[in-house]
Amino acid sequence: MTRDDDSSRSGARSLGITPDDLDGHTIEELSAYLDAGRTPVDPSIEESAGCQLALQSMERLRGLSEELLKADEAAESAVANDDRWISRILDSIAIDARAGRRIPIGHEDPAADLGITEGAVRGIVRSAESDVHGVIVGRCRLTGDLTVPGEPITVVVDASVLWGENLPEAASRLRAAVLERLSAHTDLNIAAVDVTIHDIHRLPGAEDES
Amino acid sequence: MADENDDLPLDVADDRIIAGRAADGDPEAFRVLVRRYAPLMLGYARRILGATDEVDDVVQEAFITAWQRLPELEEPAAVRSWLMRITSHKAISRVRARRPRLDVAEVEPASPETATPQRIVESRSQLEELSAALNELPDAQRQCWVLREVAGYSYDEIAEELGVPPSTVRGLLARARKFLVVRMEAWR
Repeated sequence: MTRDDDSSRSGARSLGITPDDLDGHTIEELSAYLDAGRTPVDPSIEESAGCQLALQSMERLRGLSEELLKADEAAESAVANDDRWISRILDSIAIDARAGRRIPIGHEDPAADLGITEGAVRGIVRSAESDVHGVIVGRCRLTGDLTVPGEPITVVVDASVLWGENLPEAASRLRAAVLERLSAHTDLNIAAVDVTIHDIHRLPGAEDES
Repeated sequence: MADENDDLPLDVADDRIIAGRAADGDPEAFRVLVRRYAPLMLGYARRILGATDEVDDVVQEAFITAWQRLPELEEPAAVRSWLMRITSHKAISRVRARRPRLDVAEVEPASPETATPQRIVESRSQLEELSAALNELPDAQRQCWVLREVAGYSYDEIAEELGVPPSTVRGLLARARKFLVVRMEAWR
């Protein structure tokens, strides 16, 4: 490794990245050492002032990368209100792709072939949120043997509740609303509705009351 | 029962709720995801691709793929990093399509060692300087740096995306860091 003499009077010399400054180590070594989380500890790197400077500089850059991404994001923020741009995506997705499994529904007439898709059941479950103040429904899972008519089905629902609402009460009201809606619209044998509140949301502009 | 909830906007809910719901097939929840993450994905894709009009296409494609694959997402709460991964992949695919062989011996930018204090532009922030310095890097070096430092990819993952050996990634990354470190130091 040769010393870059030209650099000794300019930036690189004082910046300490020539091999002499790095006590025989190279930037490539230091770069890989940094990415390995500085383990296993290499005393010849850790005890070299030059290497420490170079590592600090690389870490500073790493620290800036998060800020850089935030700035890049902010620079593109207008797209969030560009309905035409957003619609181009929404218009390209296949909404019916989420029908899921078909759940047969029993009927006196064995020749009748009735069923409802999982997607439709989930849609009904989501609609129950409008019966309970401050609740937003997330993912919904149906468990049980969905292929046999009349088999008990358990509905597992994620939900988010508005800050300040009583959580157990909101969960129990959502549970009741889901049951009511499912029995009104389907003949499914619902064994249980399990509601898990995963999040507490605040309305935009709401004061932090905590 | 009274409709008590008409005014509650979906976008107050967190990622877990929104992504879980989009995975279940609710297009309105997906619209919230698009609004929430399109700026991030555009900014990130632009860093990888450089100045090109392909950035919009890449991000739109990434969202369409995300919609198709959302049901496979185990942790809806992790949708942000998952979307970033899809964006990386779509962006790098474009890079590879437009230049099938990565030219690792790209001409180096003007040696930063010659940077003089006169080049300091006081009014520019450190961030703006980093941004400008990144734009001076050869594409492959910039892409390695962005995948590593912005997206947190491992060397092996970068190697796989770019289709080069991990040793090449190691070299590209070191050169990118050397250039950036010197440029940034010169501005201090």
